[in-house]
Amino acid sequence: MSTATATTPSLTHGDAHHGGPQGGLSHFLSTYVFSKDHKVIGLQFLFSTLLWFLVGGLLALAVRWQVAWPWSDVPVLGKLFAQQGGQMAPEFYTMLFTMHATVMIFLVIIPILAGAFGNFLIPLMIGADDMAFPTLNMLSYWFMWPAFFAFGASFFVEGGAASGGWTSYPTLSTNVASSPSSGWGQTLWLVGLTFVGVSSMLGSVNYMTTIILMRAPGMTMFRLPMTIWAMFITAVLQAFALPVLTAAGFMQLFDRTLGTGFFSPEGNIVNNAVPGAGGGQPLLWQHLFWFYSHPAVYIMILPAMGMVSDILTVFARKPLFGYRPMVYSIAGIAGLGFIVWGHHMFMSGMNPALGITFMVSTMMIALPSAVKTFNWLGTLWGGRIEFTTSMLFAISFVSMFIIGGLSGIFMAATPVDIFIHDTYFIVAHFHYVLFAGTAMGVWAGIYFWFPKMFGRTMNEFWGKVHFFLTFIFLNGTFFTMHILGAVGFPRRLADAYHYETFHHLQPLNAFMTYCAIGMVASQVIFAANFIYSMFWGPKAGRNPWNANTLEWTAPSPPGHGNFDFQPVVHRGPYEYSVPGVDKDHLMQTDPPNEAAARAAAAAH
Amino acid sequence: MNASAITIPHDHGHSGGHDDGHHGHVHLQYQPGLPLSRGKLIMWLFLSTEIMFFAALLGSYVVLRFGAPVWPKPHHVHLSEPIGAFNTFVLICSSVTIVLALEAAKASKTGLAKFWMLLTLLLGSLFLGIKAYEYQAKFSHGIYPVHPRGLIYERPDLYYGSAVRARLGEPAIIDRLKDLDETPADQLTAEQRTARTSLQQVRKMVGSPDQQPFDLAVVADQIMPLPTAHVGGDHDGGHNGHARGLNDIFPWLRLPIVIPGGNMWASTYFLLTGFHAVHVAVGLLVFAILLGYTLGPKNAPMIENIGLYWHFVDLVWIFLFPLLYLF
Amino acid sequence: MNSRIAGIFWALLFLLVPILGVAVFAVAPAYDHWLPKNVAAHGPSIDGLFYFILALTGVVFIVTELLLFWFMWKYDASQARGPATYVQGSHTLELVWTIIPAATLLFIAIYQMNAWADVKMRRPRMSPTVEVVARQFEWRLRYPGRDGTLGTPDDLFLVNDLHVPMDEDVLIQLKSMDVLHSFFLPNLRIKQDAVPGMKIPVWFKATETGSYDIVCAELCGWGHYKMKGRITIESREDFNRWLDEQYAKQEATQPEAAAGAAAD
Ligand code: HEA
Ligand code: HEA
Ligand code: CUA
Ligand SMILES: [Cu+2]
Repeated sequence: MSTATATTPSLTHGDAHHGGPQGGLSHFLSTYVFSKDHKVIGLQFLFSTLLWFLVGGLLALAVRWQVAWPWSDVPVLGKLFAQQGGQMAPEFYTMLFTMHATVMIFLVIIPILAGAFGNFLIPLMIGADDMAFPTLNMLSYWFMWPAFFAFGASFFVEGGAASGGWTSYPTLSTNVASSPSSGWGQTLWLVGLTFVGVSSMLGSVNYMTTIILMRAPGMTMFRLPMTIWAMFITAVLQAFALPVLTAAGFMQLFDRTLGTGFFSPEGNIVNNAVPGAGGGQPLLWQHLFWFYSHPAVYIMILPAMGMVSDILTVFARKPLFGYRPMVYSIAGIAGLGFIVWGHHMFMSGMNPALGITFMVSTMMIALPSAVKTFNWLGTLWGGRIEFTTSMLFAISFVSMFIIGGLSGIFMAATPVDIFIHDTYFIVAHFHYVLFAGTAMGVWAGIYFWFPKMFGRTMNEFWGKVHFFLTFIFLNGTFFTMHILGAVGFPRRLADAYHYETFHHLQPLNAFMTYCAIGMVASQVIFAANFIYSMFWGPKAGRNPWNANTLEWTAPSPPGHGNFDFQPVVHRGPYEYSVPGVDKDHLMQTDPPNEAAARAAAAAH
Repeated sequence: MNASAITIPHDHGHSGGHDDGHHGHVHLQYQPGLPLSRGKLIMWLFLSTEIMFFAALLGSYVVLRFGAPVWPKPHHVHLSEPIGAFNTFVLICSSVTIVLALEAAKASKTGLAKFWMLLTLLLGSLFLGIKAYEYQAKFSHGIYPVHPRGLIYERPDLYYGSAVRARLGEPAIIDRLKDLDETPADQLTAEQRTARTSLQQVRKMVGSPDQQPFDLAVVADQIMPLPTAHVGGDHDGGHNGHARGLNDIFPWLRLPIVIPGGNMWASTYFLLTGFHAVHVAVGLLVFAILLGYTLGPKNAPMIENIGLYWHFVDLVWIFLFPLLYLF
Repeated sequence: MNSRIAGIFWALLFLLVPILGVAVFAVAPAYDHWLPKNVAAHGPSIDGLFYFILALTGVVFIVTELLLFWFMWKYDASQARGPATYVQGSHTLELVWTIIPAATLLFIAIYQMNAWADVKMRRPRMSPTVEVVARQFEWRLRYPGRDGTLGTPDDLFLVNDLHVPMDEDVLIQLKSMDVLHSFFLPNLRIKQDAVPGMKIPVWFKATETGSYDIVCAELCGWGHYKMKGRITIESREDFNRWLDEQYAKQEATQPEAAAGAAAD
C-alpha cells in the first residue's frame, strides 16, 4: 500500500487485506502466543476468561445443588470429588462458593473488562497503533498464568482450595488450624491474588499512559467515547486501590507462613492449637480488603457501563444524552468509591459512629448512578431503536442494574443492614450488579465488537435465543433471592433447613436451582454461536453497525498497526441523526462539511 | 468544528519499543495530553501505585501500633538510632549522586556519569549492608516472627513459664547445661560465674510446680533484662544499651524472652523495612545493569526515570526512619 | 419474524420485569416467605425502615422500568417515521434528577440515624446479663450468677441455650475465642459479629415470650452451617426459676467447673 493512499483519510478500501504479519510457522509464536499486539492480547484475555467463566458457572451450579438439595448426591460432578459417594462435605461447600467467587471476580469479570475489552478497544477507539508499552502489555497477560495455575492447582492440594470466602477474613484464613482447607489452598489463593494484582497494575498504568499520550489528532478528552472514559477511570481506580490489596495480601501471607500476627489478636487459640504470638487486629484486614474491594466493584461495572452507553447510542441512532454529566458521574462514582468501604463492615464491630459516616457516603454514591441511569433512559427516548442482540443485552443491563442498585440502598441503610447483612439479600444484590449487570454488558460488548475482532458477525437469531433464555433464567434465579433475604436466609450455609426459621424455604431454593441449571445450559447456545461464527459467520465490513467511533474505520479485523490511514478526529463520538445531513451518522473521522468531503473524494 | 483541534502535533518519542520491521504501516501521529515522554509518565503512574502500596503498609503500622496496649521502646528491641540516622544519611547521599550522574550524562561526560552511578550503587549497597547488620542484631536476640510462634512473649505468664521450661528440657540444652555445671569456676569469667548462678535459680523457679507470676518476671529479667527509662537507657554498660542477660552471656541458650508488644513490633518492623529493602535491591539491580551502557544524553531519560524511582525509595525511608526509630 | 412484532415482543419481555417483580414481593408474604415475626422493642423501627425503603425504591423501580418498556415500545425503529430526535442532553433535567434523589437519599440517611443509634450506640447502663462466647461451632454462655458479676465463682455456664427475661433491657457481652462469628437473632433483628480480641456489647428488649433461633451469620469454618443455638424469652419469674434450676444442675454435676473458670 502506497504511503500516499495510506495517509489519506478514506474509508473506501473496505476489505481487510492489510493484514498483520502473516509469515510462516516461524512467526506463529510471536504472532499468536507471545504477541505484543494489543488485539491479540485482548483476544487471549477474552478466550482465557471465557473458559474460566465456564468453570465459575459450573462451580455455581454445584453451589446451587447443595443449597437446594443439601447432602444429596451431586449428579455427574459428584463422581469427580466424591468424598462420601457423590455427596459433598460441608467444607467442600465452603470451598465451592469461595472459589466460585474468586474465579468469577478475579479470573472473569475484572480481566474480561479491563484485559479483554480494554486491550482490544483502547488503541482502536483513540486512534493509536498499539498500547504505549506493548511488551508490558504482553506481560500483563502472562502474569495471569501464574494466577491461573495457583488457583487451579489449589483444587488439588491437601485440604482443598481456599475456603475462607472470597473475602478471606482472618482469623479463619490466617490460622492454619481453623479449617481443613486453610493450609496450602489459602496460601495458593494469596499467591494467585498477588499475580492478578501485578497483572492489573501493569495493565492500568499502560492504559492510562496510552490514553493520555496517544490519542489521534483532534481526539480531545471530551471527544472520547464513553467506553474509553470508563476504561481510563477504571485504570485510575485500579492503580490506586489495588496496591492496598497487594500489601494486605502479603501481610496475610506472612501471617500464615512466617508467623507474624498482623491480623490475629494476642493469644488467639483456634481448635486447641498453640496460641499464636499475635498482637494484631482482625478488623484491619477487613478495612484493607474493602478499601480495595469496594472500588473493585466499580472496576467491575464502570467499563460495562461505558460499553453499554456506546451501544445504546448506536442502536438508538441518537446522541448520548448528557455526555459530560455521564463522564462526571463516572468520575464521581470512582471518587466516592474510595470513601464508602466501611458499608461492608456495619456489623463487624467497627465503631458504630464511623458506620454513620460510611452510611451517608454510601447513600451519596447512588447519585452519580442515578445520573447515569436517567441519562440512559434519556438516550432511548425519542430514538429509533434497533433490537439487535447486542442492544437487547445493553437494555437489559440498564434494567437489571436498576434492580441491583436499588437493593444497595437497603443495605446502605444501616438499621436495615442489621437484618439483611450476610443474607441472600446481599447475594441477590451483587448478582444483579455483577451478573445481570456486568455480564450482560459483556455480552452486549461481545456481540457488538465481534465483527471487529474476527471480521465476521455472530448469528443474530441464536443470539436472541441466548439472550431470551439467559434473561428469563437469571431473573428466576436471582430475583427470588431477595425474598430469601427478607426471611433472613443466611449466605454461605451448606444447609440452613435445620433452622426453624428457614426450613420452609427449600422449595423456593429448588426453583432457583432449576433456573440456574437452565441459565448455564443456555450458554451452550452462546458458545456454539461464538465458535461457529468465528470461522464460518458472514463476513463483516469495516462498519457493520454504522457506528461513529474510530475502530469502525479500521479494517475488520484490523491489521498490525490498526489503521491503514492517519485518523483525524473532527467531532464527538455520538453524532447520530444529525439534522440536515443525508447519512444518519457522522463518523468521528468524517470531514467537517460536505464540501470538504467532496474535496477529499476528488483528491482520491 | 473547532479548527485548532485538528492541527497535527508532533509525535513525542515513539519510545514504546515497537519494532517497525513490519511492512510499512502508517506511522500514526498523536495529540499528547501532557508534555511528558511515555517513559516518564508511566514511571510517575507506577510510583503512584507504589505510594498507595507503602501507604497501606504505613497505615497498617499506625493502626497496629496505636491499637496495641504496649509498644516496646527502641532499646527494648535493640534498635540503635545512630545507626539508623547514619543509614538515612547514606541514602540521602545516594539520592544526590544519582542526580549528579544524570547531570553528567546530559553533559555527555560519560565517564563521570559512570562514576556517580557506581557511587550510587555503592551507597545503596552500603545501606543494605547496614540493614543486614541491624537485622542480624535482632535475629541474634531472638527478635523475629516465627511460625507458629517465636521466642517473644508479651508478659511473664504461665505460657511463658512453660515455654522456658520446655526449652530447658530439650536434650541438647540439657547436655550443655550439664557441661556448664561441671566447668570449674576458674575457667569462667566473673560474669559467666554470676550468670551460672542465676541460671540455676531460673531453672529452679520454672521447674517448681507452683511458680508465681512474680517469679516469672524475675526469670524474664534474668534472661533478657529490659532497660527502663530511669536506669539510664543508653549508657549503663552492656551492649546495645542494656544490661546483659543469660541469652547474651550464653548465646546457645536461646530462651524465650519477654518484650511487651514485641511480637507486633517485630512483625511491623520487618514488614516495613523488608519491603523497603526489596525496593532498594531492585534499584541497585537496575543501576548495575545501567553501568553496562554508555551513560550519555541518549540514555539520560532512562537515568532520569530510575532516578525518580530512587528518590521515591529514599522518601519512603525518610518516613520510615522517624516512625520506627524515633517515636 | 416481522420486525414490528419482534419489537413488541421485546418490549413486553421488559414489561414483565416490573410486573413480575412487584408480583413476587406482593405474593411472598402470603406464603410466609417474608420477614420473620418480630419480638424486639426496636424491631418495628427497623422493619418500618425496610418497608419505607421498599416503597421508595419500589416506586423508582416501577417508574424506571415502565419508562424503559415504553421507550422500547414507542421508539421501535421498525415503526418510526423520520429520524431520531437529535438532543445532546438537558441541563434542567440533569439538575432535577440529581437534586431529587439527593434530597431523598439524604432524608433516608438522616431519618435512620436514630434507629441505628438505638441498636448500636445507646448502650443501656447496666452490667451484662450474660456473656456469649462464640467458638467453632457453638455458643458458650456465661451468666453472672446470683451476685450479678461475671468472673466470680458462682458463674453459670451453658452452651447454645440462651434464656432472657421479657420486657427488660438485656445486655450481652459478645466475645469470640477463635475466629469470626456473627450473633444473629432473626426474630430480634439483632446481628453482631463476634471478633477475637474484642468485647462487643449487644442489647435489646424482647417483647414476647417464645423460643427462636440463634444463627451464626459469619463464615467460621466447615461447621458454620450448624452453629445453631436457641434463645428463649420468658417472664422474669420463669427466667429466675430457670436460672436457679440450671445453677442447681451445675452444682450437682460439676462443682469444680465454676471455681476453675473463675481463674481466667
Ligand atoms: C458491580 C458491583 C457492585 C456495584 C455496582 C454495587 C453498587 C452498590 N452497592 Fe454493592 N456489593 C457488591 C457489588 C456491587 N455493589 C458486592 C460484590 C457486594 C458483596 C460483597 C460480599 O460481601 O461478598 C456488595 C455489598 C454491598 C453492601 C454490603 C452489604 C452487607 O454485606 O451487609 C452494601 C451496603 O451498603 C452495598 C451497597 C451498594 C450501593 C449503595 C451501591 C450503589 O452504587 C448503587 C447505586 C445505583 C442505584 C441506586 C440504582 C440507580 C439509581 C436510580 C434509579 C436513581 C434513583 C434512586 C434512588 C433515589 C434510591 N453493596
Ligand atoms: C462476577 C461475579 C459472579 C458471577 C458472574 C456469579 C454467577 C453466579 N453465581 Fe455467584 N457469587 C459471586 C460472584 C458471582 N457469581 C460472589 C462474589 C459470591 C460470594 C461468595 C462468598 O460468599 O464468598 C457468590 C456467591 C454465590 C452464591 C451464594 C453461596 C452462598 O453464600 O452460600 C450463589 C448461590 O446461589 C451463587 C450462584 C451463582 C449462579 C447460579 C451464577 C450464574 O449466574 C452462573 C452462570 C454461569 C454461566 C452463565 C457460565 C457461562 C459460561 C460461558 C459464557 C462460557 C462460554 C464459553 C465459551 C464461549 C468457550 N453465587
Ligand atoms: Cu460461627 Cu459461623
Ligand atoms: Cu461496597
